[in-house]
Amino acid sequence: MSYKTTLIGAVEIGTSKITALIGEHAGRELAIIGRGECRSRGVIKGAVVDFKAASEATHAALEQAEREAGEKIDVVFLAQTGGHLEGFYNEAAVTVKAADNMIEPGDVRTVSDLAKLRDLPFGRTVVHNIRRPFRVDGRVIPGSPVNLVGQRLEVGYWTVHGQEQRLADNMNVIRGFNLEVRELVLSSLAAGHMVTTAEDRQHGVLAIDIGAGTTDFALYRHGCAHTTGVLPVGGSHLTNDLSIGLRLTEPQAEKLKLRYGRATVQTKDKTQKVWLDGTFAIGDRQFSQQAIEQIVSARIWETLEVVRQKLGAAFSPETCAAGVVLTGGTAKLPGLTEVAAQVFGVPAHLGEPPVHVAENLRDPGCSTALGLLYYGITAQADRAFPTRRDGGFLSGLKRLFTHA
Amino acid sequence: MKPQLPEIPASRTWRDIAQPVRPGAMSRGGRWRLALALTRTAAVGALLGAVGWGVWTVTSAVSSEPRAVPAAAKAVAMRPPELRTDRDGVLDAEWLGRTLALPKGVTLMELNLDRLRARLLADLQVRTATLTRQFPDRLQVKITERSPMARLRAEVGGEQRDLLVARDGAAYFGTGYDAAGLATLPWIDGVALAREGLGFRITADVEPLARLLADAQFAAPHLYREWHSVSLSRLAADRAMEVTMKSGVVVAFSAQGGYFLQLAYLDYFASRIADLPFPSPRIDLTLGRDVPIAIQPAPSVGVRLRAPQTGTALLYSVLSPSHSSLPSKREL
Repeated sequence: MSYKTTLIGAVEIGTSKITALIGEHAGRELAIIGRGECRSRGVIKGAVVDFKAASEATHAALEQAEREAGEKIDVVFLAQTGGHLEGFYNEAAVTVKAADNMIEPGDVRTVSDLAKLRDLPFGRTVVHNIRRPFRVDGRVIPGSPVNLVGQRLEVGYWTVHGQEQRLADNMNVIRGFNLEVRELVLSSLAAGHMVTTAEDRQHGVLAIDIGAGTTDFALYRHGCAHTTGVLPVGGSHLTNDLSIGLRLTEPQAEKLKLRYGRATVQTKDKTQKVWLDGTFAIGDRQFSQQAIEQIVSARIWETLEVVRQKLGAAFSPETCAAGVVLTGGTAKLPGLTEVAAQVFGVPAHLGEPPVHVAENLRDPGCSTALGLLYYGITAQADRAFPTRRDGGFLSGLKRLFTHA
Repeated sequence: MKPQLPEIPASRTWRDIAQPVRPGAMSRGGRWRLALALTRTAAVGALLGAVGWGVWTVTSAVSSEPRAVPAAAKAVAMRPPELRTDRDGVLDAEWLGRTLALPKGVTLMELNLDRLRARLLADLQVRTATLTRQFPDRLQVKITERSPMARLRAEVGGEQRDLLVARDGAAYFGTGYDAAGLATLPWIDGVALAREGLGFRITADVEPLARLLADAQFAAPHLYREWHSVSLSRLAADRAMEVTMKSGVVVAFSAQGGYFLQLAYLDYFASRIADLPFPSPRIDLTLGRDVPIAIQPAPSVGVRLRAPQTGTALLYSVLSPSHSSLPSKREL
């Protein structure tokens, strides 16, 4: 059986780097045919603060990906992160209408609509409505409850919302390259989808994506996302801490972090020194290895503690049997998994993409962009009731020309 | 019935955020892509428009009056039409010009080909006609003609007119034929005519007559040359046709049997009765091997001859050597 082949792009506008991937999607198969990466400019903590600089960097990454793929794309999936993203949980319940108590599609629609009905403050926009499993008379139903028998149908939605202007800024960067944003996907969901398996998500797992400017996390239970969140803290804060604590410039601090940074303090000898450059030239300085580890470790501990606090009662070791999975560029920091295991009280490991992913894409820093493609395609395929745009054929025609 | 939901306005989602195209906010690569997309859209639009316009123009030109055609096509003056006939055609360009009667100065696109074709087919001498515009200035007319097999005389508009009869029953006045050739055709009587176009059509089925004349021309031309007229008055009732020869002999042919055998009988008996002293005998070939011959003017007197038992081969043995052009038994 032959499928129509479509080309889809995935863009992650990160704080330290911008990644663009181009995937060729046919049926259930996805092949990555192009990759572009560019050092990020004009982005702080996941938010665009300099439109021109961010556009140039993003477009350079897209051009590189298109050049490598040898194809042009028209639509992209865009990762979304930033401290402005927040979430809340809302649930609703209905009494099953049918006399024989058999649940009908109408009941499901009603309870879903009710659970999503909650007014947002002015200027806030829904990014994701993540449904949690249905419950029929208290029983958790992983799939569809239609045709099951019960009296009370309940469902809850974890709604993620963000500032409309921030979202529009990111989308306009993409529109500046004459591309349409087909899906907006939370970075935590994209990365989590990539580094966890369906079994992990069923048993309960916490995926933490520690980037340069933000830390995104997604807690999965019963096979679907339960709680998500974003901390505006990331690897760049480690650099900043080192810069302030050791009185260094940011590039120097970054260099020290990458060479000697560690999430746990292993060095017992306070006098053990490390050289900044190792060239012994004028300007090369020595620093205490223990001091570096203490500074980095303190920030990492604090970050993970805040994640745990934000999860609150949603997280418990009992409901997170698959442990903690770490990904993102900062996840390469030695000793991070040990710290995570201590903070959350469950096993922790570094996230690995599936075995079929090519070697050059297995870096933890690529997991969000990769996950974007997989999650976006799955989300589009699974959308039971596609969002209908306003207007009919004529509106579609108009959009075609205006988007051109 | 769906329960009433609380009156809370639906929250905006990111899909409600407009994704406008602002060239000013685009990078150089983005503007280039936009220009390419616009060019592509414009090219596709122009192509679709051109195809639509072309279809509309052609459709209008074909379906509407000639004045709807573009002025450029009207400007070219037309040359005289070109006539192409089949091998036996006798109609010429003069007849074509007279029949089409095209107005002076008419242009090719102003012609209504359907109307002109109907005008040609009104002359029943024309069996088929195909008119083709050959741009820029020539009309080509291809026709096939009917061939006459007999003549008939009818009163048309208060005067006696001779018509030619084709194999399919069409009766027309005929143009361009050689008069000597037409004089060899037998006359037809005992038929009714109906108006058709500029000619007539015989209402009876003339297929038996056509086969009789064709067989006679082919197998017994010496007899056919002596035929003066053929009456179809008994065709419908008796399935018989009566041929009157120039000598006054009347021969009745059956329209049901094979004409070759009847012609062979006629040939045989014609030679036998030639020596009889009775003028204008009547030979009836409708009864098979029994051939009654009535002798005029005393109807009570008659003879009954019988065809030879040995078959048709013997029939020709009595023929004179000059009749050796008749077909052999095998050909029969």
